[in-house]
Amino acid sequence: MFAALSVEFRKLNRSLALLLAVVAPTLIAVFTFCNMLRGDAPQEYDMWIMSGSAIWAFFMLPMSVTALTALVANMEHGPKSWDHLRALPLPRWRIYAAKTVCVIAVVALMSVLTLLMTWAAVEIAAAVKPAVTPSGAPDMAAHAWTLVKMLAAAFLLIAVQLWMALRFQSFVPGLALGIGGTFFAVVATSARAGVFMPWQMPVNMLTDEAWRAETALAIGGAGGFVALVLMVAHLSWREVR
Amino acid sequence: MSGLAVETKALTRRFGQRAVVREVSMSVPERSVYGFLGRNGAGKTTTLKVLLGLLKPSAGSARLFGVDIAKDRLKAARKVGALMEAHGFYANLSGRENLDLTRTLLGAARSELDRVLGVVEMRENASRRVSDYSLGMRQRLGIARAMIGAPPLLVLDEPTNGLDPDGIADMRLFLRALPERTGATVLVSSHLLGEIEQTATHVGILHEGRLVVEGSLAQLKAGLAPELALDVDDFDRAGALAQARGFAVQRTPEALIARLQPRDDARAAAAALNRTLVEAGVAVFSIAHKARSLEGIYRDAAKVGA
Repeated sequence: MFAALSVEFRKLNRSLALLLAVVAPTLIAVFTFCNMLRGDAPQEYDMWIMSGSAIWAFFMLPMSVTALTALVANMEHGPKSWDHLRALPLPRWRIYAAKTVCVIAVVALMSVLTLLMTWAAVEIAAAVKPAVTPSGAPDMAAHAWTLVKMLAAAFLLIAVQLWMALRFQSFVPGLALGIGGTFFAVVATSARAGVFMPWQMPVNMLTDEAWRAETALAIGGAGGFVALVLMVAHLSWREVR
Repeated sequence: MSGLAVETKALTRRFGQRAVVREVSMSVPERSVYGFLGRNGAGKTTTLKVLLGLLKPSAGSARLFGVDIAKDRLKAARKVGALMEAHGFYANLSGRENLDLTRTLLGAARSELDRVLGVVEMRENASRRVSDYSLGMRQRLGIARAMIGAPPLLVLDEPTNGLDPDGIADMRLFLRALPERTGATVLVSSHLLGEIEQTATHVGILHEGRLVVEGSLAQLKAGLAPELALDVDDFDRAGALAQARGFAVQRTPEALIARLQPRDDARAAAAALNRTLVEAGVAVFSIAHKARSLEGIYRDAAKVGA
């Protein structure tokens, strides 16, 4: 399994997927930086970090997972490397499991970068415009924990998007699903049923309503894990023509 | 040759109701270069995919060195390296990096990379990105990848596709020398008869999913009837006269082809036919003994299979 994992990570070298992993958190940081410079009065430090996490969970995470899964799957669909990979003398589930772990690891990396880059953006903005220097110190551990929960709640979203991207050679079904899912998750933010949408589960980690957070974490995390196992089993078993 | 590298028995593969491979029983001797021929859509790639464990047989069986692929895919897969029509290389990585991914998955030694790159003479270009490679370089890199871990069987699906004439000639020499250099058996599919004729020791011809001819190329050629190509002033009369003497005749734009019986003496038959034509007043400009080629075998097989 270690060999398959190592191979999946090495495939990312100089890839668009890796570029996306850096660009998406950078965009949040740039937005935070510009937003701070627009203001005249200081705000709480935690507010800025929280707003970065909120943007991440609300839009950027679902959109990034959509794009990332499409790019990772296209690394195999594009050059048609499935035949080569699946003909090798190793259990096929390892190929798909390694790819899954790789995608989750990249999303985790993006979460870390979101936190660190948002913090860096706040520091730079405060240095550029001292009048907006935030008050208080950020509780980075609490923010990191929230991002960990967001990642766990995103398992179902990752499973759905990765399954779609690996199953279909065209990137269109996965992309359409991701865009549609994110759209409905945003417009149904306040709806009670929204919590059951995979694309909305991560953002529920920020809510004050305990039932929403718990439901999203349980379905997104545990349900996502089960879905990922089913995805690996299905993709390993099916024929690729 | 000690045994069979590939053996299929009544191998059948259907997609829905459509049988693409029909009761194919093929035998590929060890250390041979086996040319797997057939027009596009004949079922060659599907057969190869079954041999690689990528598709399950609908009926029948396939064995690699005695190992049933359907029963023990992993054991069978350890005995084969493959180059399929699509190379499946990651364009963002170098040639060496691409090979190293496969080497890692196979658990082969690092020294394998230099060995296989040396065999295909790609060491100097191995650090360039695959996106900068020509098609010929990708083909050679694909063969290098198939050889990682020194599998005793190489399956190459249309390895000359898209190559220029020089590339095809290089590939021909390379494939012909492979069994001696590496000890491997080579199963190469192609629709280029001339290439296979110059490369293979054995051939199998697939026509509409059925294996219609199989055997060593030398034996198949020996069993063919010789042909005479005649250039005369009156093709119709000459054809009728040749037919009257028991020749099967065929008219081409350039010549009249008279086919002899497999055991006929071509020189004596040419002299007799020449005499008949001249005595009948037909002007004979030339009579050439035409050696039968793989194309002849293929054409006959296609007719039988149709």
